Amino acid sequence: MTIERSTFPLPDVDDAMTAPFFAAAARDALEIPRCVACARFVWYPEAACPSCGGSLEWRPVSGLATLFSWAVVQRVFLPAFAEQVPYVTALVALVEDPAVRVCTYLIDSETAALVAEMPCEVVFRDLNFPTVEGVSVRVPMFRVTPR
Amino acid sequence: MKANLDWGYSNPLDDVAGQVAIVGIGETEYSKASGRSARQIGAEAAERAIADAGLTPSDIDGLTFSGTFGEFGVAEFHAHFGTSHDMWSSPWGGGMAWAATAPYLAAKAIGEGKARHVLNVFPVAWATQRSSMTGGPGEVHAAQSLKQNLEVPFGFFPQPVYFATIMRRHMIEFGTTREQFGAVAIELRRHANHTPGAVFHEKTLELQQYLDAVMLADPLCLFDSCPISDGGAAYVTTSLKRARDLRHDPIVVQGVAEGYSGSGTHWAQQAAFTTTPQVFSAPVAFAMAGVVPADVDVLTCYDPFTVVALMQLEDMGFCGKGEAGALAESGALAFDTGSLPYNTHGGLLSHAYVLGIAHVVECVKQLRGAAGAQVRDCEVAVYGGYTGHMASTLVLTKDR
Ligand SMILES: [Zn+2]
Repeated sequence: MTIERSTFPLPDVDDAMTAPFFAAAARDALEIPRCVACARFVWYPEAACPSCGGSLEWRPVSGLATLFSWAVVQRVFLPAFAEQVPYVTALVALVEDPAVRVCTYLIDSETAALVAEMPCEVVFRDLNFPTVEGVSVRVPMFRVTPR
Repeated sequence: MKANLDWGYSNPLDDVAGQVAIVGIGETEYSKASGRSARQIGAEAAERAIADAGLTPSDIDGLTFSGTFGEFGVAEFHAHFGTSHDMWSSPWGGGMAWAATAPYLAAKAIGEGKARHVLNVFPVAWATQRSSMTGGPGEVHAAQSLKQNLEVPFGFFPQPVYFATIMRRHMIEFGTTREQFGAVAIELRRHANHTPGAVFHEKTLELQQYLDAVMLADPLCLFDSCPISDGGAAYVTTSLKRARDLRHDPIVVQGVAEGYSGSGTHWAQQAAFTTTPQVFSAPVAFAMAGVVPADVDVLTCYDPFTVVALMQLEDMGFCGKGEAGALAESGALAFDTGSLPYNTHGGLLSHAYVLGIAHVVECVKQLRGAAGAQVRDCEVAVYGGYTGHMASTLVLTKDR
């Protein structure tokens, strides 16, 4: 069960199930799979719509969300994160469908002032880790929407 | 708050109430890194459980173990005991949620004449294995590709982080306070202080220590999280009729159930974020046993984090949703003065992180009157298991 991939913990941008997510992020777009038959968003990605069996297509969303929950991670659980702690990892609920919770970093936001259901917006950043030299992946992060 | 019950389900099981009983228990030393292998620990636990039942290894003709970890199966049993007889076996036993459902498998096998005495065994050597970075609770999750791509890169890993966000949400939705989570940690530590063999037997914990503790992932602090341990345990199940001929009073299996979350182990996407699938399990097991929550004298639950302890109390019906923080703070969980003695050995949080197998052993000890933190007049003991997307419930009673 050991992870062999040398770019871990960066995402595997070639993994078929999630490749479109990172391809979209590379264009500074947030896209989520949606059922072509019943128009439900399906998150996490699946092979087909769990409600109706319809096929899925990746659709752009606004990038607006509310803060569902978060943790301020202080312990280094993986060596890759040694220089990054403390950081805020968060689940944000998309305005298009709050059942879709995107797991993300909350950045450029005052940690002590975070409150549940705060409006957030997507920003795109290059993610890299000191343990994975010379590789970065563009990913969606979120920040509390500036007033 | 209205319960949303479309996010998971109960797996229907046959009624096995009163058919089988636990007749032997065995435990190894519980410790930090011991240098021992899981196989050695499993063998020792098995040996002790068989001896406690007054049986010999050749009497054991059924074995349930963890196929997930696969460290003590039929081959290891025979290698250790020098036996070679035929054995019925199932890899859907061991610890975690399966520590509750293994007696069901035993009841079915015994009922169908496939086995007479069934051993369930579960060893853990994660404290030892951790130094070589193999094994451990996070590894299984990191290997899942959706987590590897959509969670781990965003620092959402491992379990203390998942449960920190669940804890935060419990605080948001129900107003649960750090003092209330602390009340769980402190009560369980006190129980460990009364339980010889608990990893934290010698170490006390006060509220101020809890409040001042280092954060792993705020709001989850060091004492909200269980340690990593070595150790293991086993128990022997046989028919109630046969049990009455053995040396200990039978501890009767009265109810077993299991419930599942439809979103698997993707906690981030579980619709009922602050609920465990115990809502699909406990009521079913209680119905099979013919008991209600108020009948339960001792409750042991899988408690890797304080928030899991609180959620299961709510989801099993011991209080309303969101009320477990207040329940814990009221002192209800104390083995000696509380109305709902809970994890009387100290639980995963303060006894040892051996993934629930010691919780079942503690239920048996309480019903035998042989526990460290013994509850008076214990007639009904319940174990609530919780592993990722699965919860399970085991109701045990004295022979009545
Ligand atoms: Zn559909």
